[in-house]
Amino acid sequence: MTLAWIPLLTLLGVLIPVPMERFGRRLCTLATATPVVIALILVLSQLPMLLSGGLPHFSLTWIPSLGLDLAFRLDGLSLLFAVLILGIGLLIILYASYYLSAEEASGRFYAYLMLFMTSMIGIVMADNLILLWIFWELTSLSSFLLIGFWSHWTDARKGARMAMTVTGAGGLALLAGLLLLGDMAGSFDMGTVLASGEAIVADDRYPIMLVLVLLGAFTKSAQFPFHFWLPHAMAAPTPVSAYLHSATMVKAGIFLMARLHPAIGDSLLWSWLVTLTGMATFLYGAWFALVKTDLKAILAFSTVSHLGLITALLGIGSPMAIVAALFHILNHAAFKGAMFMNAGIIDHETGTRELDQLGALRHAMPMTALVTMIAAAAMAGVPFLNGFLSKEMFFAETLYTPLLGGLGWLLPMLATLGGILSVAYSLRLVHAVFFKPARRQPPKTPHEPPRLMRAPAMLLVMICIAVGLFPALLATGILELASTAVLESVPELHLAIWHGVNLPLLMSLIAIIAGVATYGLHIHLKRFVRQFAPIDARLVFEGAIQTIASIAHTLTRRLDNGSLQRYMSWLLGGALLLATLGLVQLPRLDGGQATHPVDGILLLGAALMIFGAIGTVVSHRHRLISLLMLSVVGLVVSLTFARFSAPDLALTQLSVEVVTMILLMLALFFLPQKTPRESSAKRNIRDLTLAGSLGMVIASLNYAVLTRDIDSISNFFVENSVPGGGGHNVVNVILVDFRGFDTLGEITVLALAGLAIYKLLNRLRLFMPHSDGEGRVWSPDRYPMILTSVSQTLLPLALLVSAFIFLRGHNQPGGGFIAGLITAVALILIYMARGVEWTQSHLDFPYQPVAIGGVAVATLTGLGSFVFGYPFLTSAFGHFHLPWLGDFELATAMLFDLGVYLAVVGATLMILANLGKVTTPHRPRKDDSRAGTQQPQPSSKEPR
Amino acid sequence: MTHYVILEGVIAFFLIAGGAFAFIGSLGMTHLRDFYMRLHGPTKSTTIGIGCILIASMLYFWVTEGKPDIQELLITLFLFITAPVTAHLLAKTGLHLRLEHVEKTRGHPVELRREEVGEKPVPHPDKGHG
Repeated sequence: MTLAWIPLLTLLGVLIPVPMERFGRRLCTLATATPVVIALILVLSQLPMLLSGGLPHFSLTWIPSLGLDLAFRLDGLSLLFAVLILGIGLLIILYASYYLSAEEASGRFYAYLMLFMTSMIGIVMADNLILLWIFWELTSLSSFLLIGFWSHWTDARKGARMAMTVTGAGGLALLAGLLLLGDMAGSFDMGTVLASGEAIVADDRYPIMLVLVLLGAFTKSAQFPFHFWLPHAMAAPTPVSAYLHSATMVKAGIFLMARLHPAIGDSLLWSWLVTLTGMATFLYGAWFALVKTDLKAILAFSTVSHLGLITALLGIGSPMAIVAALFHILNHAAFKGAMFMNAGIIDHETGTRELDQLGALRHAMPMTALVTMIAAAAMAGVPFLNGFLSKEMFFAETLYTPLLGGLGWLLPMLATLGGILSVAYSLRLVHAVFFKPARRQPPKTPHEPPRLMRAPAMLLVMICIAVGLFPALLATGILELASTAVLESVPELHLAIWHGVNLPLLMSLIAIIAGVATYGLHIHLKRFVRQFAPIDARLVFEGAIQTIASIAHTLTRRLDNGSLQRYMSWLLGGALLLATLGLVQLPRLDGGQATHPVDGILLLGAALMIFGAIGTVVSHRHRLISLLMLSVVGLVVSLTFARFSAPDLALTQLSVEVVTMILLMLALFFLPQKTPRESSAKRNIRDLTLAGSLGMVIASLNYAVLTRDIDSISNFFVENSVPGGGGHNVVNVILVDFRGFDTLGEITVLALAGLAIYKLLNRLRLFMPHSDGEGRVWSPDRYPMILTSVSQTLLPLALLVSAFIFLRGHNQPGGGFIAGLITAVALILIYMARGVEWTQSHLDFPYQPVAIGGVAVATLTGLGSFVFGYPFLTSAFGHFHLPWLGDFELATAMLFDLGVYLAVVGATLMILANLGKVTTPHRPRKDDSRAGTQQPQPSSKEPR
Repeated sequence: MTHYVILEGVIAFFLIAGGAFAFIGSLGMTHLRDFYMRLHGPTKSTTIGIGCILIASMLYFWVTEGKPDIQELLITLFLFITAPVTAHLLAKTGLHLRLEHVEKTRGHPVELRREEVGEKPVPHPDKGHG
């Protein structure tokens, strides 16, 4: 459980900063740092167990069917990274409290930072591949928020988006790779995966998996050619750069490669891919660090370069190389963190990061100059500092690796070249900022920052010196511990400054001397570089994004051209194709089941329906007649339901038909009264062919299905309706009990649709014709008296009927849905007879809460079964006896049905009443004083 | 025994009367000469006809099943409510549209006020569109 508390603490830490912000920056910083300190102590408290050879582990089943467990482990590798993340995180929290200006939202910043810290901790401690991936994506998300923290600045937004796109795409590749990996290992459990390395390497899918996983790691760790996002991510506030882009996030890819090294690292393909990518990145980054002029860009490219170095070491893969990689991770975090913090200080105190405007700062800020110089020296690999040790180990490994065979001398040569470049750019940075006189004045007069702002960088630099001087004492322990997680047998470590005169030492010397010389020739290099047109990665990236977007746009426009006929023809054509394919495969159409005899009534009904359908099409330019024809079809359908013993459906169909017709009338009011002839003969033939063939295919399909024995689930429902659901009306029991979850979804959709229509109609001003097609103005007698009085008299009766239908629904035809429709129809009749104004002044309640309340009632009924320890939506029913009333039955399904009823009434009326409100010339306006207080103003934003 | 015969007679009378009224109503709807005359057929005659048939049905099931059933009465009630409302609305529409009528149709749209008929026909804004 202790392990689970570590990510949990940092996660809780996300909630702390925002409410604490009002108590001042200092307290907010302290409160934010507290959980981090506790988490760090918790991590270190596991050290004794680790040293005695144990493996702290925590596991909780999450989604077993996916192989996803909430499992954490803390082996040496995790410990190394966790200390790095939490420790440097602490320093960054302290540093940021000085870096951010007083008016900036430090609470939000800290919350993002803690979120990021949680996801990083999650990555390094995850004991499950999928869990690891989830945290991996979380780092992409939270880093997006952090990079784009200054969201008013376009560079920050674009940089954040680029980082998100690149690392997110890599994350998707990683997911595919991890799924494959888990499949090959037979489990997503980290221990199992790490133990089955041989089987994984021998698998056929190994190359694909490896490439996918490496894509994830390379994008995250900014390896060539995916490095371009890192320099652009420098638009982030400097604490973020120091944390994400030197110490933690970009190391996630490195961590992944180290973590999975036992499982996937033992192959030639791995060595080639990883080593060469690493070397290329190492050189590429170093070169660009030398030619850039922005302080942070130099550091960014230098980070890219160092990440390449570590990657190359992991690719070489010998035990000593792994140790060297881990060592360099630590060292790089220390000196690069310090460098970034000092770059931030310089930026903060001078107002610029351009080398041109900086210079001779050693007089103004001597302490910062000293600290930066030591950190830069460590970066360059100067003896007696930590960078020297790991770099020398790197040189040694490139010498002894068997990779590249006969061309084996190439690696140490390239390594030395990279070393030369890194000495040159470190020297250039220090010289240009602190010694060389500035060409232009910086915007602000520089001075030393507050002592506490300097403290984090100073602490890191002290670590650099201490490790550089006493490597055996300080680094051996943690390195041995960390490498046990990656290697089977840890090689004996001899960390020392002096190994005698040997080749690696010589390479270091060459690097330093040639590096100084290179900086001397720096001017000529610059002239050389100017010959090439500069490539702005952002322009290339944005261009690519734009191209993809425009391709997608073109494609969408082709498919989605706004023609409903086109969509219908696609849909129907697709259905036709599939149904035809299915039918062709049948041996014969007739399934052998006897058919019912045809009688006169059936024939008449069928004829009426056909007549109605054809009539609708033929009269489509006379919309009222067309609408009447359509209603003929609907009525006959409902009669058909009644005839074939589906009274529930018949009732529903009837009510739906009424509502639909009214809705169509209302909608038609706004459309042109006369429709022009639009279809050409060619199109008519196409449509006729499509419709005709579809009709034939559907008819054949129906015939084929109806003449065959069907063994469907319906028997189960019929048999279990009374014992399982306590109701004799199977349809209703299915709706509210067996398939209650579906119904819940449906009424939610209904309520949402109602709300959407309400929102769309709100403030809508449509053109309203004031006369009909022949130019007659509408009759001013809007509310005929007979209709008015009759509809009012009928309302209680109709409500009674709907209550009756509702109550008997569980055992006889009826139910909440039908009852809701009946209520809605009765109320609509009032609307039609008396108009919107009168009705709304008398029915003084908005329908939105009714619909939402209905969904809430249904959901709460479903949740109620949790109280009794049953799964969601379990229904209960029982028979009760009351004096006077006799025996009756109650089911919780009734309550659910009430929710359905309310949702249907609310949604239907929300749609119809609002559409009607648009229709009436007396619709309430903003300046309409008659609207008074009783009428819901469509312009008011708050739903009442 | 005899009251069965009498009841049979009553039921038969209502059935025949219902059929006759419905037929006359339908005939009127097809054969009368203008809208206002034709309106009488379905709204009055046919309604009576269906009412008769419903009463016959109610009596029949009362006799055979032994207990009265009020469903038919309810249907009749609703029918008698809807028919006049429909007729009223249709007649108003006809007057508003100034449907032509033959000489023999008595009465003129006097109950409508002048401004209700729409003195000046306004060209429809969508005319140019179609």
